[in-house]
Amino acid sequence: MGLLRYTTRRLLQAVPVILGIITITFFLTDAIPGDPVQVMLGPSPAQEQVEVIRARFGLDEPLWYRYVTYVGNASPIWLTSVDAFPFLVPEFGVDLGTSIYYEVPVTQKIMERLPVTLLLMVSAFAFALVVAIPLGVVSAYRRNKPTDHVSRVLALVGVSTPSFWIGLMLILIFAFHLDWLPATNLILPWADPASVEGAETQVDVLVAAGTHLLLPMISLGTLQMAAITRIERSAMLEQLSQEYVRLARAYGVSDRTILRKHAFRPAQLPVVTIVGLQLTSAIGGAVLTETVFEINGMGRLIISSIQRQDFPVVMGTTLVFGLVFVIGVIVTDISYAYIDPRVSYGEREA
Amino acid sequence: MAGDTSHGHEPPTDTATSMDVQTEVEEPSEGGVEGEVEARVGLRYTLYQLRQDPTALVGLVIITVATAIAIFTTIDANVLDYWFAETVWVHPARDPETVEVALPPVGMENVFGQGTWDHLLGTDHRGRDMLVRLFYGTRIAITVGFVSTFIGLVGGTVVGAISGFYGGWIDDVLMRAVETLYAIPFLVLVIAFMAAFGRSLMFAMVGVGVATIPTFARLIRSRVFSVREEDYVEAARAAGVRDRWIIVRHIIPNSFAPVLVQATLQIGLAIIIIAGLSFLGFGVQPPTPSWGQMLSQSRDWMIENPWFSIWPGLAILITVVGFNLLGDGLRDALDPRIQN
Repeated sequence: MGLLRYTTRRLLQAVPVILGIITITFFLTDAIPGDPVQVMLGPSPAQEQVEVIRARFGLDEPLWYRYVTYVGNASPIWLTSVDAFPFLVPEFGVDLGTSIYYEVPVTQKIMERLPVTLLLMVSAFAFALVVAIPLGVVSAYRRNKPTDHVSRVLALVGVSTPSFWIGLMLILIFAFHLDWLPATNLILPWADPASVEGAETQVDVLVAAGTHLLLPMISLGTLQMAAITRIERSAMLEQLSQEYVRLARAYGVSDRTILRKHAFRPAQLPVVTIVGLQLTSAIGGAVLTETVFEINGMGRLIISSIQRQDFPVVMGTTLVFGLVFVIGVIVTDISYAYIDPRVSYGEREA
Repeated sequence: MAGDTSHGHEPPTDTATSMDVQTEVEEPSEGGVEGEVEARVGLRYTLYQLRQDPTALVGLVIITVATAIAIFTTIDANVLDYWFAETVWVHPARDPETVEVALPPVGMENVFGQGTWDHLLGTDHRGRDMLVRLFYGTRIAITVGFVSTFIGLVGGTVVGAISGFYGGWIDDVLMRAVETLYAIPFLVLVIAFMAAFGRSLMFAMVGVGVATIPTFARLIRSRVFSVREEDYVEAARAAGVRDRWIIVRHIIPNSFAPVLVQATLQIGLAIIIIAGLSFLGFGVQPPTPSWGQMLSQSRDWMIENPWFSIWPGLAILITVVGFNLLGDGLRDALDPRIQN
């Protein structure tokens, strides 16, 4: 089956990229000056205490050894369960080391924070698509009319504004001035009602989650929204200038039908591409949005870990961000087939 | 205005009628002389097109003004009294012991309050003039924008040209490396980079520049793939011209148009990124003002004086809009297929 083979090949192609991410972050974090043990124990710790801690986190080993161990432990165990590497973690699963600051496994910390960031990013992209696709289509259809101008200015401002400033302005207006929406924190919609303040049933939790999510979602999604609107507009314009549209018009097919049945679908290909590519900027934006709204997600975790020199967490989070991106790109590539039946997953070079 | 040439408003003659605005060369000819002529005429036509586009001109004006402010504040730091921007300023009429915040003239209670004419946008919580600080922030933004884009452009061109020209395993290795760089979130990469090498302006620029390399490398590579098959490259190769020379002399100049567009847009993006870095505390360190850092400080004063957080954001917005308008204008001017 073509699709399965294609997916497998893309996943295999991603392996060197993931390895590259590990390598870059490993040596980059190693180059960060300062000693994490010092951060942990304070300014003048006892010598033997330092030795103990260093040994516990494997910091006394040479660099290459730590690197090989890290790569090995980060890989799924079936790849590495070879007797030649006795230092590897023997159980199933991945091990990204232990956080120096939290003193828990990095994977545990990430699993705590990842849902928050994913919720934020997915909702931001949903917001972006829901607003941008109609806006782009209308803009192209009513080209050079007032609607088009408004939407183009909106898109221009959207791509030119830093997401964190949008966040600040939203807080200023909707949280401080109007006092409609909360300015900080995020509540997961599947959280236990008992853990959410003022909530008794799951419905209350959902409402609370929605109100908390609204501002960060708009803050993070505006850039994506603007970028997608621009692509949608130009892709629609290109489709509308095609021969087949002219032919359909000549046959008396209504504009609405042309738009809905013919031009819309092929115009979505570039949109899908841009969604995939926007993932990196969205991850960067998530770091900033989480800071502005004081959301405890992956972004804040990575920033605070860099400041605390908690290297295992820095490497782990970067790796997971890289994985999110790589998977996102593969998903967008595969979704081409659903939009354009002509796309085949044969031996075509990606 | 930049780009003014002596021939006023008459359109460039010969090539203007043919729609070949791309800087590509159609006919195979010996050497690159033809190519250069075409490229130059194409550039002139582009400038002509650009002048017909009012929004692009607005962008150009914004960029020129911002760059002028940046240069102005760099040449002579005392012109605008740099002291105002960096140190606590106390109005001479006031008690030097108490530093008060002067509110901006718009929409606030003390419309013509003391000191507002001296400080058009008011002062910050330490009595430092907002406008002057914004001007000094322009310097940082413009410098980082241009320098980091230049670094990314040079790096990306080298990688992309080599990768596209040689193909094969060299291409594979370089592209995997570029993909890796691209897969690490931009901001995270730059922050890790700065944490490792130092929180200074220079490393911010290098970091953003390195993170920009993938964008340009991919662009150049795809251009090289199309240019590589052109007859004149074939001809040059048949004539025994060395590879390096072909890349430098033919392939890079012929990829000029899309790169110029991308670079213009990229400067705007770099300004947003450096603002984000400064916001997180990884940019220029206080007291030197930068827009992102001003926004970061303003968070503690959002209820008392919301204008702290409005002005720097507007400054970023306007500057980046300038680069985006010019970039869009250039794209339209360079690609005759997309009209409007």
